Formats: sequence, C-alpha cells, structure tokens
Amino acid sequence: MRRLITRLAVAAALIAASAACGSSSPSTGTGGSNQVDNVKVGVIPIVDVAPIYLGKEKGFFSNRKINLTLESGQGGAAIVPGVVSGQFQFGFSNVTSLMIAQTQGVPLKGVANGNNSTGKDGEDFGAVVVKGDSPIQSAKDLAGKKVAVNTLKNIGDTSVRASVRKAGGDPSTVEFVEIAFAQMPAALDAGQVDAAWVVEPSLAAVKAAGGRIIASNFVDVAPDLTVALYFTSEKLLADNPDLVKRFQEAMQESLTYADAHPDEVRKVLSTYTKIDAATLSTLVLPKWPAQPNRASLEELAKLGQQDGLFTKAPDLDKLLP
Amino acid sequence: MTLIERTSGGGQTAAPASGDARRGRRRGSAAWLGLAGLGTLLAVMEIVPRVGLVSSKYFPPTSRIAEALAAEVTDQAFWVALGDTLKGWALGLLIATVAGAALGVLIGAVPLLREYTASTIEFLRPIPSVALIPLAVLLFGTDIRSTLLLVVYASFWQVLVQVLYGVQDVDPVADETARSYGLSTIARVRYVLWPTALPYVMTGVRLAAAVALVLAITAELVIGAPGLGARIAVAQTSNAVPDMYALVTVTGLLGVLVNLGARAVERRTLAWHQSVRGEVAA
Repeated sequence: MRRLITRLAVAAALIAASAACGSSSPSTGTGGSNQVDNVKVGVIPIVDVAPIYLGKEKGFFSNRKINLTLESGQGGAAIVPGVVSGQFQFGFSNVTSLMIAQTQGVPLKGVANGNNSTGKDGEDFGAVVVKGDSPIQSAKDLAGKKVAVNTLKNIGDTSVRASVRKAGGDPSTVEFVEIAFAQMPAALDAGQVDAAWVVEPSLAAVKAAGGRIIASNFVDVAPDLTVALYFTSEKLLADNPDLVKRFQEAMQESLTYADAHPDEVRKVLSTYTKIDAATLSTLVLPKWPAQPNRASLEELAKLGQQDGLFTKAPDLDKLLP
Repeated sequence: MTLIERTSGGGQTAAPASGDARRGRRRGSAAWLGLAGLGTLLAVMEIVPRVGLVSSKYFPPTSRIAEALAAEVTDQAFWVALGDTLKGWALGLLIATVAGAALGVLIGAVPLLREYTASTIEFLRPIPSVALIPLAVLLFGTDIRSTLLLVVYASFWQVLVQVLYGVQDVDPVADETARSYGLSTIARVRYVLWPTALPYVMTGVRLAAAVALVLAITAELVIGAPGLGARIAVAQTSNAVPDMYALVTVTGLLGVLVNLGARAVERRTLAWHQSVRGEVAA
C-alpha cells in the first residue's frame, strides 16, 4: 500500500515537475543579505534525523538566516513529491529511494549527508534479528525463510541479500514481506516472520524481548555505508544556490555536532519522538559524518541494479552533493 | 444554518408528553446496555493481555492505556493536535455539506443535468479518497489543506448522493400544486423540494461526519499533516505502544461523539418529520 502510494507520488511528481512546478515556494527569494529564508524540510520522526533537530536547537540554521520548519511526513511517502513540487525546500530520504527516483527521471539533488551505519558488525543501528529460540544462526540460514522489511524493493531487501550472500547462502530463495518497523517486534514474536530487518527503536524492543542479532546488513554492504541523504530539487538549486549552500553548511555543522555529542542527541530525541527514557539510553545511534561515503554508495547502487531496483545505473555524480 | 432555522420552525409539532417519557425510558435502558457492553469490552481488554493470551508489550491492558491517556491529556501538544484534527474535520464537513447540498439540489432539480452527470458521479464516487494522497501532497504538502482535500472528497459524495435521492423523492402532486399556485422556482425549492430532501440531507451529513473523521485521521497518519493522526504515527515509530492505543482510544471517542452529535442534530432538525415522530408512535 505504502509502496503504491510512493509510486503514484513519484509519477505525479514527474508530471508536476515538467508542467507547473514551483507554484508556491514562499521562501525562495534570491537570498538578499538581510533576508531570512523560511525553509521547510520534510523528515521522518526517527532517530536518523536527530542532527537536524539538534542543529535547529543549537542555532546552526538561524545563524545562517534560515528559519527552519521540520515537517515529519510519515513514512516518507510525502517527502519526495513534496520537495519536487516545492512544498518542502529540502527532504530526508534513504539513498536507495533517491537512486530509484533519479533513474526514473525525478529532478533531485543530494545536498548533505543523512546518516551512516556504525560499521560495527553486531552493533549497528539496524540489524537482521530473529527470536531468541530460533534455529537460524547466521544470515546463511535465511535461505527459504520469511524476512520482514519495511519496504520491498528498497534498501532493506537489497542489503539483507548482501548479508545472505556474504554468509554463503542463496539470497534468491529468501522470501521478503513488507511490515512497518513498528510492527516487526510483534510479528517476530508471533512467528509471522522468521526474521526481520529492524532499525532503532524497534531493534531495542526486539533485543529487550530476548531477540538475537544474526547479521548487520548495512555493514555487510560496505564498511561505512551512507544510508540516507538530505536532498533538494534541481529547481531550487538553480533558483537559489545561495540558500542551498547555507543549508548545506548548517547541515554539515549539525552532523558533526551530533556525532560528537551523543548525550545531546538522546535528549533531543525525546522532543520529537515518544521513545521512552529507558529505551533512549540503550539506543544504538547511527554515525553522522559530514560527507557521504561515495564508495559505499557505488556498492549499494551495484547491488540495487543486480536486484533489479533500477532499469539503468543511477548517476551518482548527478545525485551526490 | 438553514437547518437550525428549520428546527425552530418545526419545533411546535412536539411529540406527546407520554411518548416522550416512554422514549426517554427506552433510550435510558439502551444507554445502560451500551455502557455495559463497553465495560465488558474494557474488562476483556484488561484481562486478555494480563493472562498472557496476547503479549502485553504489543497489546497493553486497559489500565496501562488509561495511564498513558492520563499522561497524554496533560500534554499541551495533545490538545493542539486534537484541535487540528477537529478543525480539519469540521471545515471539511462544512465544505462538503454546503457543496453537496447546493450541487445536489441543482443537479437533482434539472433532469438534463442529472442525466448528463449520472455516469460521471458514478465514476468518481467510488474512488477512495486515500488514493488521492499523492495528489494532496503534491498540491498542498503536509499542511491542513491536504487533510481537507481528502475529507471533502470523501464526504462530498455521501451528501451529494443522498440529496440527489431526496430531490427525486419530491411528491409530484405537491410540486404541481405549488406550480399552479404560482410559486417561483426559489419558493418551490424552499417549500417543496428542500423539506422533502432534508431527511436525506441529514442522513448524508451523518454518514459524511463519520467518514470525514476517518479521513481526517487517515490523512494525518499517512501524510503527516498536523493532528491526532500524526501523533499516532510518531507514537508508532517510537514503539510507544500504550501511547499509541491511548490516542487510538481518543479517536474512537471522537467517533462516538461525532455520531451522537450528528444524531442529535438530525433529531432536532427533523422533529417535524414523520421518520422521527414515527419512532414515538411505534
């Protein structure tokens, strides 16, 4: 359902982009020196976007004459079309979704890094998990099993296949089913799926319920995988490169700050999520380097193409900041 | 607004006092039964997770949900969200009702127009409002106008179709009589067509009120437009299960209130009509 909506959204976005784009971008005045730009950013209310909330709190955006509003478009279905149509100036999305959009001709451009995997096997913010008493011991055993991912044909199944392959199993026999992250702990508990790819805070819930990590799928794709990016439309980039540049700088400062201050990250998480205090202290936080890791994205693009997510190779030169 | 006027106009045909009492008694016992049913449901929901039939982690017992609800109502952001949801609901319902009633009377009263639009209406009506989410996002982003688009689209047809039925229900003799007395078109709409159509309009509005609430919350949940739905989404992504159910409970309560309100309005507006008076006689 969600995927259908996303697809329709992308199709609609394409039409709008070619026809009547930029109907109501209130903020995109040509960056006068005293003018404050009102900027709306489409984000998802998850751990990954903590730096932008923290950066806003710290004044990294207001310093640069950006009046930031964060819109938490649920699930991200609204974000890409929102950015293309100019409702949002920037958005947050996982890199595979951006690659898919780009190969479909949606005019998007990455402007800043989103978040990266921790790169530590078994200690990443996302993992493939099974019930404590499951006979599955490693990703190799997933062959022929039912695995939950939040969205089919996206970063989840691609990276889980990478784990299976790396462990020496046959990824083609893994059966993926689509379940929202929030429902995965329950689905796993009830035995509806044999394994699940979860991210925080669902990962913490699974661990608390006695679940076991069998693979760190992001780590199996690349040692330091860039998982998501902040992006804008090519139109805004052409119309107001100064604003894009200021946003980029503010975002880089926010990322660096967040990466160095995990305690403040946990604190800011309590302002825009409802994760309870006990879970907050145990969450595995992602890494927030200021720059995306290009090599890791090349690897992910290759895997995506292998899995048939794109009809042609995504153009990383055009997509990356 | 016309509806309210109509109420005062029709007020004089009140039901006999004895009927009133009887109706009151019956409604009273029905209310008790209803409450008892709700109480049983709550008790079952308390017991089932406690005895371990379902995991209390994913399906918290009633008391735990009540606790979360108590915490929720002390949070100012909750009331803002509730206000946003109600605003989207009320505005959407108002637009849909006015547009549905006006267009319904117009289309219904002109046979040519009715023939001309029949297939179009039948084509557009079953399109689920939810399918318009991408369009809503594209046009309005995540603000309240996205919610309104979905709410109005879903509830408009409920009203329109009922009004169309209502207009067709006009007694030809009454209409001919009005004509032969030389009533103008506007007067005939006011005194013949509208009173006939009103019970249908009210049914349409009652159905639309419930649909509008469902769509308002759906829009917020899926698009992230501000409101209770968006709050549910945040609770969900945060694995705050009791909070999520607390908010879901609130939406359920809203639904009950909306339905009670719509019925009350309907009963008052149609106090003169035999469908309401008939209840007493039976």
